[in-house]
Amino acid sequence: MSESTELTFENVTKFYGPVIGVNDVSLRVGPGITGLLGSNGAGKSTLMKLASGRLKPSLGEVRVGPHAARSSAAKRLLGYCPDVNAFYEEMTGREFVETMTRLYGYSLAEARRRTQTALERTGMADRAERRLKGCSHGMRQRIKLAQAIAHDPRVLLLDEPLTGIDPGGRREINELLRALAADGLTVLVSSHLLAEVEQLCDRLVVVVNGRILAEGTLGELRNLLNDEPLTIRLESPQARLAAALVVALPDTTHVTVRNDSVILRTRNAPAFFAELGRLVAAHQLEVRRLETLDSGAEAVFGYLQRSAT
Amino acid sequence: MRTARAFLTLWLLSFRRLFWSIGTPMLLLPIVACIMFLVRRNYGASDDPVQAFHAFSMFLLTVFASFLVPLCALAFGTAGLGGDREDRTLLFLFIRPLPRGLILLAKYFAALPLVLGFTVGSLWIFCKLAGAPGRAAFDAYLPATLYMSVAYTSLFHLFAALVRHSTVAALIYAVFMEVLLGNVPGIVKRVAVNYYGRSLMYDAGVEHGLNAPDAQWFDPYPPADARTALWAIAIGALVAAWLVFRTREYEEPT
Repeated sequence: MSESTELTFENVTKFYGPVIGVNDVSLRVGPGITGLLGSNGAGKSTLMKLASGRLKPSLGEVRVGPHAARSSAAKRLLGYCPDVNAFYEEMTGREFVETMTRLYGYSLAEARRRTQTALERTGMADRAERRLKGCSHGMRQRIKLAQAIAHDPRVLLLDEPLTGIDPGGRREINELLRALAADGLTVLVSSHLLAEVEQLCDRLVVVVNGRILAEGTLGELRNLLNDEPLTIRLESPQARLAAALVVALPDTTHVTVRNDSVILRTRNAPAFFAELGRLVAAHQLEVRRLETLDSGAEAVFGYLQRSAT
Repeated sequence: MRTARAFLTLWLLSFRRLFWSIGTPMLLLPIVACIMFLVRRNYGASDDPVQAFHAFSMFLLTVFASFLVPLCALAFGTAGLGGDREDRTLLFLFIRPLPRGLILLAKYFAALPLVLGFTVGSLWIFCKLAGAPGRAAFDAYLPATLYMSVAYTSLFHLFAALVRHSTVAALIYAVFMEVLLGNVPGIVKRVAVNYYGRSLMYDAGVEHGLNAPDAQWFDPYPPADARTALWAIAIGALVAAWLVFRTREYEEPT
């Protein structure tokens, strides 16, 4: 495993004239895959641009390892896959990655070797001779990813990296990112496809209105929301009895019975689960399946966002 | 060593992209039109070499210096940096460890040989086609051509660093400042780069038969001062572009 490098935001504020892009953000992103979640205009692209040194913070400091993000030393440690669908269109995928790699100062032979490795890792080695203007969106995304990893960065920033990639390709890219993270790489992924972030990321950072609203694992974030309403599905051959019992609980707000399923909503999940255990034992209720329907990243993000506004 | 290699890579990339850009064939059109005019006009066939030199010089002053030199500088001077800005590919350069100042210089030094190649090359072709008056004209007007080419290239790089759609801005500048204001009587024309270049050309051409201009219409700047002014424009604009490019954030809020 290689040496790890952290990405650090220290009290970072960014103004665009009178508009505030991010507001007093402090964040440490360490090895592993971290997801940056936020709706459009929340500030996640600004955070990405600050991290890649394209923007200078109005206040505070952004560092890649010990180096200021705008320094050349930081940029050697950093790989960036932008969301912008722009290229030197006349080039082939291989030429583009090789040229971008040579801009790190590698010799031609070394750049070619690194380009080949990056293209193989992103599954583009056999299609890299196509001109970029003729490439599909998914192929262009892979080329962008290849140019970001060719120089073996220690911190990888990915802005909407899975957009336009088919499900099989997503699996491959996810596996590649997990392999990079397993090697000690710090990976920060910004995405609006929450289901993908949920599958991919070890940790999540939720950005709302230019502020970090919450950060942690999905479980940790869910625990922050114990007071939030939760939708639960309970499967039992005694569904009507189960519905009658749970509807009497004080925090239950809604119950629907459909065949063997009871779908209910509670205002207090921990109290509900405690009560349900007691009811199951008392009435010898057979419960075949019990699941929460909205504890995924989408729901967590929705709850957090609602609570912030 | 790594920085030098990265600089050379960017220089080569920029040079290649500029050379194969739409600007190259577009520039060939006015040059070919001038060639056709010169072949038809055939200055070398004149019985009066002094008069032939004057007539050919007037062609160079009005068409070459006032129109073609700024056009060559505009085509390559703005496209190097401006093309990356308009195509949004500049970010791929900004995330590389090459300092921003060197990115600008790589773009500048990629454009400069192309601008010089087109201006000096077309001057050479025009002079060859002009026959005897052309031989004297090439030596006389080459320094002014070089000065103007460098000054315009710097100026249009400043445009590219300042304005997103720099080609449009530079075209407006070229038409209003260089063509209109550069040709009005009085001292207003001093705002135009080609005034200083044409002053040098008048100074160099007089001894070969170019008639001194009517002072009311065009009062040439002293040659030493004109050279200084062109140097000052070239270096000043490049330094200003460098400072702007180093510090400016080329991003829009999202």
